[in-house]
Amino acid sequence: MTDNIRESNSNEVRPPWRKPVVLSALLHAAIFFFALVGWSWSNPTHEPPPRSISARLIMPEKTQPEPAVKPKPEPEKAQPEKKPDEEKQKELERQEQERKAAEAEQKREEERKKALVREKEKKAEAEAKAKEAAKIKAEAEAAAAAKRKAEKEKAAAEEKRKAEERRKAEEQRKAEEKRKAEEKRQAEEKRKQEEAERKRKEQEEAKRREQERKKREEQLAALASQSKQDQALADQRRAEQAAASKARDARMQSESEKYEGLIRDKVGANWFIPSSAQPGLVATLEITLLPTGELVSVKVTTSSGNSAFDNSALSAVRGISRFPVPDDADVFNRYFRTFSLQFDPKTLK
Amino acid sequence: MMRAFLTLVLAGVLAMPAQAELLIRITEGADNALPVAVVPFGESGGISGDEDIAQIVRDDLAMSGEFAPLATDKMLSLPSKGDDVYYRDWRLLGQKYLLVGQLSPANGGKDVKAQFELFDVNQEKRILGATATVSAKNLRTLGHHISDRVYEAITGTKGIFSTRIAYITLDMEDGKRIYRLNVSDVDGKRSQVRLKTDEPILSPAWAPDGKRLAYVSFETGRPAIYIHELSTGKRNKIAQFPGLNSAPAFSPDGKSLLLTLSRDGNAEIYKMDIASRKLTRMTDHWAIDTEPSWAPDGESFVFTSDRSGGPQVYRMDANGGDLKRLTFGSRYNARPRYSADGKNIFYVHQRDSAFHIARMNVDSGDESILTRTQLDESPSVAPNGRLLIYATQQGSNSVLAVVSADGGSTYTLPSRFGDVREPAWSPFVN
Repeated sequence: MTDNIRESNSNEVRPPWRKPVVLSALLHAAIFFFALVGWSWSNPTHEPPPRSISARLIMPEKTQPEPAVKPKPEPEKAQPEKKPDEEKQKELERQEQERKAAEAEQKREEERKKALVREKEKKAEAEAKAKEAAKIKAEAEAAAAAKRKAEKEKAAAEEKRKAEERRKAEEQRKAEEKRKAEEKRQAEEKRKQEEAERKRKEQEEAKRREQERKKREEQLAALASQSKQDQALADQRRAEQAAASKARDARMQSESEKYEGLIRDKVGANWFIPSSAQPGLVATLEITLLPTGELVSVKVTTSSGNSAFDNSALSAVRGISRFPVPDDADVFNRYFRTFSLQFDPKTLK
Repeated sequence: MMRAFLTLVLAGVLAMPAQAELLIRITEGADNALPVAVVPFGESGGISGDEDIAQIVRDDLAMSGEFAPLATDKMLSLPSKGDDVYYRDWRLLGQKYLLVGQLSPANGGKDVKAQFELFDVNQEKRILGATATVSAKNLRTLGHHISDRVYEAITGTKGIFSTRIAYITLDMEDGKRIYRLNVSDVDGKRSQVRLKTDEPILSPAWAPDGKRLAYVSFETGRPAIYIHELSTGKRNKIAQFPGLNSAPAFSPDGKSLLLTLSRDGNAEIYKMDIASRKLTRMTDHWAIDTEPSWAPDGESFVFTSDRSGGPQVYRMDANGGDLKRLTFGSRYNARPRYSADGKNIFYVHQRDSAFHIARMNVDSGDESILTRTQLDESPSVAPNGRLLIYATQQGSNSVLAVVSADGGSTYTLPSRFGDVREPAWSPFVN
């Protein structure tokens, strides 16, 4: 039941785009309706009308003594007079009295006429009358029976109608319930569908993402592979460069060594080892040259501790107007722009 | 891409500090002597005396074997003070050092004052500026003094140009052999005869104060050892024992002598306390032990002994122990003398039929021959250890020669006398 409420609520917020769904629901409802009608007919246990029919049969019994001349209003009025209305009751009583008076008059007329007839026709008529009476009686009985039957039928029809109405109402209710249930179901279904859809979409999304991820990974892998290739290429290039550089280094080295030798000879020829030099006396000077080989600066970086010795080294360096340096600017810059001279005499005087 | 770039950058960065600074070792110096210009000194006022100070300095420096003084006629300018020096002139001439100076009379003309400056031409820097005053009669003393200052300023080694040489000359005069004990400047000039006799004079030896000489004289007919005080001429005969009295050698503290005596039958080395004349026998061997020479530290001495069958050099502690033979490989090694620093000994070494002066490193035993002359004898080491004087045969005469202690250069001292022998280099004198 709570589901129902929740469902109706959910129905109320039903968006219009579900129209096809509504149609489908209606169709379902129709199908369900017919199915239910068929079902309810084949299941009469649910119908309460038979009881009320038997109850109503009493009323026509009461009015049965009344002639079938005016059968018309009775059942008609009897029905509305079910309600205990005072005024209506009085009116009815009055009408009953009037009717009864009229009926009495009529009766007397008929009695007098009958007496005339009876006198005229005495036997035949009596017989005919008896026959007639029997016939009338039979007819009245038949009429009453018919009336009863009609009333019964009518009541039955009414009952049936009412039952039908109830049934219809019930069916409607049921249909409504069913509709609601259907709606609920549909909503549920829809929800489920939506859920499923959502899940599907989610799955699809996840799948798509996964695919994208895979794709990206593949791309990355491809990139990495490319990068590896690039790397390999770069490595190779670097190796080649290194080899070239090594060759160049070797060339520069040999060039450097050549000029190292020239500088060593020139400085040595200019170096007058002072007589105070002792074994182990070493001075280191830092030389800065111009690319032309001219001296920019010289300083003692490690003193021998013997000023005459240091001075002899400084003098030797400063005595060279132009150092032999390579023309190759790279070699010059690498080795000879700034370098050190270590004065470490092997032969002492 | 970025990584590759970074790698390259990194490689570039790493390449720089990886490049160690070039270091060139200079182990060989110039073979030639150091070019030095000694400009004739300027003179102001009347300077008596005919000495050329600059020439004295040039000769001194040349004798050292370490300098090659520039001839005056090659000079482009003759500055006598620093303000007048144009380095370019001297650089053009290849000169490494430049000495300029001027002389002026002092003390009313009795003295001479010298102002002198030494310049490092390459560094365009004055490395010495000084004044000195001497008696006008001793201009050579002034010259040698300036030489010493210049030498020390450039080489870091104390100069020996003011030291003296003692030596013996032999001359034939009127058919007689005349022996003289002479003392001269290291350049052979200003020699003075300290003793003249017609009997042999041998083995002069300087006292460490440079004021006394010990020597062997036969003037009495028999060998005796005298100590001669130079300033006064006073002589003391300190040893005249029977037999040999020879080869005196002052101890470094000047208080004792080592000498060779044969008073006990065989030539042995004794130590004499000069003040008490007390003798201590140092050697005891049937062979001849002679020619002792003190180590500079006074802890030991070397001497010649033929205990191996021929003369060889031995070393002994000052207390007489730890005898050790030093020389091998030649049948004649004699007359050892310690170097000033005690690391080497110099001695006469026979090779084939020639006698050379050899040097041996006492610790390593490395031996090298220093002289190319023949019949060399009597080596004596200059007090700065840089030079060695010895006697050698030149024609029929014996002359004195100076050789640098590394054997690099030889300088023959001029002598008026025909036969010169047994030179002894004085200690530093102040």
